[in-house]
Amino acid sequence: MNRLLNGIGAIRHLALAATVTLLTACAHTVSVDGEFPAPVGDPHPLSVGVYLSEDFQQFTYSENRDDRDEWNINTGRAQKNLFETVLGSMFQETINLAQYPSNLPQGLDLVIVPEVRELQFTMPRETRVNIFEVWIKYDMHAYNQQGDSVAEWVITAYGKTPTAFLKSQEAALAQAINVALRDAGATLYTGFERVPELQAFIANKQRALTMKQTGDNE
Amino acid sequence: MEIPFAYGVREILKEDVPVKFLSAVFSVSVLALLSSGCTTVVIDEYRRSTGELALGDSVVILGRRHSSDYETEPDLIDCVGNTLHNPKAGVNVIPEAQFVDALYPWFEPRTAPMHVKSLGKLMDIPDVRDRMAQYGVKYIVWIDGSTETTSSAGSIGCSIGTAGAGCFGFGTWDKESDYEASVWDFRDQELSGKISADAQGTSYMPAIVVPIPLIARVQNNACKGMAAQLQEFLLPPQSASR
Repeated sequence: MNRLLNGIGAIRHLALAATVTLLTACAHTVSVDGEFPAPVGDPHPLSVGVYLSEDFQQFTYSENRDDRDEWNINTGRAQKNLFETVLGSMFQETINLAQYPSNLPQGLDLVIVPEVRELQFTMPRETRVNIFEVWIKYDMHAYNQQGDSVAEWVITAYGKTPTAFLKSQEAALAQAINVALRDAGATLYTGFERVPELQAFIANKQRALTMKQTGDNE
Repeated sequence: MEIPFAYGVREILKEDVPVKFLSAVFSVSVLALLSSGCTTVVIDEYRRSTGELALGDSVVILGRRHSSDYETEPDLIDCVGNTLHNPKAGVNVIPEAQFVDALYPWFEPRTAPMHVKSLGKLMDIPDVRDRMAQYGVKYIVWIDGSTETTSSAGSIGCSIGTAGAGCFGFGTWDKESDYEASVWDFRDQELSGKISADAQGTSYMPAIVVPIPLIARVQNNACKGMAAQLQEFLLPPQSASR
């Protein structure tokens, strides 16, 4: 009799566990928390303010489609780390701004404000390729001290990771996002000078510095 | 004081026949795990210059990750690096992640030089040049390729009942590795040569109550083959035999 009661108890526990698993199986939460290396290279001769909005710092991509499970992907902390690290090494002076456009420190050449435009991802079973893929698109804005737009450009980043062998889908996706963020940092760093307006802005600044140096020497 | 406890365990097992049977099955499984399927590895080499690795020089082994449909596995790169790393023999390998981080963002999939000639442009950046000099990089080895499962057959069914659980059936699958390592002489900025490794192997998994995997370690064998060939390639002829 005791055995029968024990058996029924075990079945109840099993059923409960199965129900909980089924209910939670359809919702996935990913929190990406990456650290990124500082870029190696010469800094641009600019004094730059960087404003990362609250939305940007806490960015969470949510998706709940009929043909997919529910996904909540938080990339805010990782992209804050990335932009602070990369932009912090890109210029002669970088100031992280707590607010914008009010209370701007004097002497800034540019204020850079990034925004997430889009995030997309694919899973191995959707593409039939054993790879998790992530695309992130950023809108980049550069303003002068007066708040006028100097340049607007787009950064696209791509990251992939091999199939999640012995790894959860969430961990594999987080790894792919970290790869995409590294790619975003590389594009930001190497592509900054290729934006025509910024190229002209840096050239003007360099010319002004050269003239000032010549004047000082005379 | 531990011996009586061990005897105690043995006595219990003697009396419990199903446990003894399971123990035997477990032992067979462990033996099977230790054995493995067959793998064939073919290494080809194209050499343009002799190895010139000297004391204090370093080698960097990097994976190509620019293709959209496959990725050179980081564990393969680690395996080749760890196997090749032998400071006593004069081969000092810088770990991939450490090197790529130290030279961020110049060796990312998007920015990494695809040809030896592109190295010159990279060396125009003083900080990059200094860091490469700090590491004492003589050779950069780019490995491109992947290991894939090419075919599979058979089926294994598992069931749980009141009498117990078990699996029956047979499964087999083929794996193929295809890698090419391009060796760049960083100081002379020229291609020193190429090494290719093709490995094939078939794994088997018979299941009689317990699945018994006989795994062909295709990627691992390709790694070992490449590392051995690279050591011969990079070291000067008189020291390669060490």
